[in-house]
Amino acid sequence: MTLTIPDILIALGVGFIFGWVLDKGGLNRYYKIANVFRFTDLTVLRFMMTGMLVGMVGIYTLRHFGLLNLTAVTATALAGNFIGGAVFGVGMALSGFCPGTCIAGIARGQLDYLIPGLLGFLTGGLIFGALYRTDLIQWLITAGRPELAYAKLPEILGVEPLLLAFVFSEAILIFLYVLARTQARRPDGLEKVVEQERVLAGLEESQPQAVGD
Amino acid sequence: MRWLLRQLEKDLWSPEVAGIGLGLVYVLALWLANRSPGASGTFFNVAAVVGKPLTAGDPANQFFVSMFPPVTEGLGWQFWMVAGIFFGALASVLIGRHFKLTWMPVEQWKDVFGGAVWKRWVIAFIGGVILQIGAGIAGGCTSGLALAGGVQLSPAAFLFIPGIFISGAVVQLLVYRNKY
Repeated sequence: MTLTIPDILIALGVGFIFGWVLDKGGLNRYYKIANVFRFTDLTVLRFMMTGMLVGMVGIYTLRHFGLLNLTAVTATALAGNFIGGAVFGVGMALSGFCPGTCIAGIARGQLDYLIPGLLGFLTGGLIFGALYRTDLIQWLITAGRPELAYAKLPEILGVEPLLLAFVFSEAILIFLYVLARTQARRPDGLEKVVEQERVLAGLEESQPQAVGD
Repeated sequence: MRWLLRQLEKDLWSPEVAGIGLGLVYVLALWLANRSPGASGTFFNVAAVVGKPLTAGDPANQFFVSMFPPVTEGLGWQFWMVAGIFFGALASVLIGRHFKLTWMPVEQWKDVFGGAVWKRWVIAFIGGVILQIGAGIAGGCTSGLALAGGVQLSPAAFLFIPGIFISGAVVQLLVYRNKY
């Protein structure tokens, strides 16, 4: 299957918007990704959940009117999806990037994204491909795979798809509202710790406390 | 007009505003191209340039043959999408005049890991290796599984996302200790 020029332009255009919002969302910065796992900066969660909300409603509305087909999504495999996610989370928390945000991070001029980051992905890819036929990998990608591995939640639950999309998006909306109202667990916790240490070391003067505070 | 330019130059947008753009990415990709954007697959395609000859001894291993053929045998849709990510982020960075060559993260990293560049590079490399293996096991990454699956209401995404957050939180607890 060869790509036509319009195919390539759509792919580039979609990617262009993707890269633009990754940078404007701050997802291509170490601290943004590192801190979502400390629950001190919820940007990543708010960004992803808003994207999911808009995408879900848009896609299922267009589908309802027969304007798009849903491509086969990743196969459900209970063990692989969850364990793979857990492995992925280790790398994401350590490095502060993931495949897409690494590419967007290179564009800021971050050499640690460009050289060790990309080399790490390629090495990991090589290792996974070489081990693909081993029993462990085969078990991981097939264990807990339901008969209809590509079925989506509306089919599994037997619910009208557009209705379920709206139920999910309402739930996300409530979640986003709660997130927006919630102060992050300890806002900029680390920076405060650092600031306190500096004050203790006499490097910075502490702010005078307001009288009667 | 001036307002628009100021928005385009901003370093950061509110996560919700940027998130609306993220949602549009998935709507447009599925609507116009019937594809769900994912980044990790392209790294397998690049690794296949070395991986295909390396695994040729085992004909049963089709990973770098039919599943993720080498980029040298043709550039796929996802490759162009990933190229687009780079140009989109670059446009945002250049318009905002935020481009700066750096060897390691400017914020926060040094407070936790110290100022040694080699340490950041080793951890970035190991992180990359783990990320790609995790994506292989799960069947995609944040873009191609968590988001692409999530917007299509695929159960796989709702297993993958808790996996990331549970292990990510445990790792940060170990890394940051009393600063967690």
